[in-house]
Amino acid sequence: MSNAHSKTQAATPAGQKDRRRDHMPLVRHAILIGWALIIMFPIFWMLQTSFKDSGEWVTWPPNWLPQDPTLKNYQQIFTFDVSGSGVAREATDQPFSIWGSLRDSLIICTLSSLIALFMGTFLAYSISRFNVGGKKFRHMVLLVRMIPPIVIAIPLLMYYAVLIPFATEAVFGARISLFDTRIGMSILYLTVTLPFVIWMMLSFVDEVPYTLEHAARIMGAGRMYTLRKVVLPLVASGMVVTFLFVFILNWAEFLLALTLTHPDVSTLPVLLNKFQSASEGRLYGPQAAIGTVITIPVVILGIAIQKHLVKGFSFGMLRR
Amino acid sequence: MADVTLKAAAEPAVTKGALSRFGAWLSQERVFRWIPFVLVEGTFILVIIIPFLLTIYISFLRWRANRPFEQAQLSGFRNYEQVLTDAGFWASLGRTFYFAGTAVIFELVIGFFLAMLVHRVVRGRRIYITLFLIPMMVVPVVAGYNFSMIYLDSGPLNQLLSPFTNMLGINPRIRWLSDPTAAQLAIIIADIWQWTSLTFLIFLSGFSSLPPQLINAARVLGANKRQIFFWIELPLLKPAIVIAVVIRSMEALKLFDPVVLLTFGGPGTSTQTIAYYLWEQVWQFNKYSFGAAASILLLILFSVLIFVGIWLLIRQRNQFEQQQETAT
Repeated sequence: MSNAHSKTQAATPAGQKDRRRDHMPLVRHAILIGWALIIMFPIFWMLQTSFKDSGEWVTWPPNWLPQDPTLKNYQQIFTFDVSGSGVAREATDQPFSIWGSLRDSLIICTLSSLIALFMGTFLAYSISRFNVGGKKFRHMVLLVRMIPPIVIAIPLLMYYAVLIPFATEAVFGARISLFDTRIGMSILYLTVTLPFVIWMMLSFVDEVPYTLEHAARIMGAGRMYTLRKVVLPLVASGMVVTFLFVFILNWAEFLLALTLTHPDVSTLPVLLNKFQSASEGRLYGPQAAIGTVITIPVVILGIAIQKHLVKGFSFGMLRR
Repeated sequence: MADVTLKAAAEPAVTKGALSRFGAWLSQERVFRWIPFVLVEGTFILVIIIPFLLTIYISFLRWRANRPFEQAQLSGFRNYEQVLTDAGFWASLGRTFYFAGTAVIFELVIGFFLAMLVHRVVRGRRIYITLFLIPMMVVPVVAGYNFSMIYLDSGPLNQLLSPFTNMLGINPRIRWLSDPTAAQLAIIIADIWQWTSLTFLIFLSGFSSLPPQLINAARVLGANKRQIFFWIELPLLKPAIVIAVVIRSMEALKLFDPVVLLTFGGPGTSTQTIAYYLWEQVWQFNKYSFGAAASILLLILFSVLIFVGIWLLIRQRNQFEQQQETAT
């Protein structure tokens, strides 16, 4: 075998080579299509469950497609009226409507991602240009990201529920608790995603040639002006990508949301989990509908920034 | 170099007004440099460091949620003792490493294999990449839910297996999640399903940055496919492999979402990861000071891993950048 490609036989008999070329791609495609099917199956199952009526959720043998497609599940989660007719609605204590959680999720994710984006971008700029914080600083930032969230959750519970009310009472005379508030969650998400923002933006800012800024400065532009008119336009697309990436991460976050919010605020993943423990047993249909509603926007956003995903997940260490 | 030019251009504030004065103050070298740094560091100190200091204090208290915080009494190292002698803590810690290890190995192997195949595919490449990346974008909770549907006793998995189970004369409606081993496997499989796309992505990026000249040169010199793979491609892919291992391992040790959605830690305690175990101790049983001590101990343990991880990442990153420079 190893001689087949030796120097003298670089031009192997054409027929033999062609035959090998012929079936290899087929095998390759077969394997890849097989994996694609495996990957799409759970998503397909959720989609088709979301169109099934309550009698069809768990049948044996299961139906691969809804016999009688219905939008009831979507109706149930999107209607404002909680007390209407539906599957055992009055028996559960959780309201079915998705709107409250949708609003909470949108506010928390947008707010935290935006603030993290601005703080992170400016820090990335000053790290890149002035080496603020020293050489090691950019690596130390990673620490925050790598700590398991449960280790952060316990201290934060005590902090939000005990220390801050205690301190605000002593200072302002009123107990202010960040526990179970949108602001509290936003601050938390902002902190845990900052490392991603800093690293992604570092990789974008590092690509902007310093000579451009230098030229602007020599021509008399102020520092803020240079930043606004020269640097920001060049990294704007990077900022959009970073924002979307961080938004997706926050959107999907579960542990911290589960532990630090209880009755008032709830993000969408927490809402999906609440259906799990409903007293009437699990409500597969509405769960599937919520799952679909949560997933589709982020998958679309994710595909939109697909090229940059590797940059995000590898902290800008891999570029393509 | 940058410092000199920027210092030389420290401009005077010409215009009046509070806003422009603020702008001028902002444009000062030192202010401009340090504001973002102070903001971010301030956030880290306020949201991470202070809570941890508080937690260290609480870990020395004897406090459960049924008593007010102010009445809690100091108890020395009692909580630490309790955590370290707690069988559940060690068991769930070991289980976490077992889950993470198994899942990450499969993710690496499958991801590498898929990336290799997709790298060689010419037609339909983009479609494959897009499809393969989707699981990563699915919200983990939703992924957990999807798998809970598949493992149902009347779910599609049992239906697909029913020809075999009928042949063996077993009731086809197997309750996968009621069996400890099967439940553990279920969680590992859900993790593999979701995160193979990340290792695939990292390896694909590694493959596409391989220098083609080098491989062509080897081919001209008479190396066969296997030789090219083992002696040229694999060594050049080492940074990508290390990055994938470190990033995936750190993430896999956080495993929590599929456990809640699939099994609630059960049957028994067979699928409790450390995150789930602590969540239960603190949020279900209200053992606050116990949880505080455990999270301090975990932080110490994990920080060792994290430092090793970061050190590996930095080393590989430098190598990778050199490689890309030589490649272009």
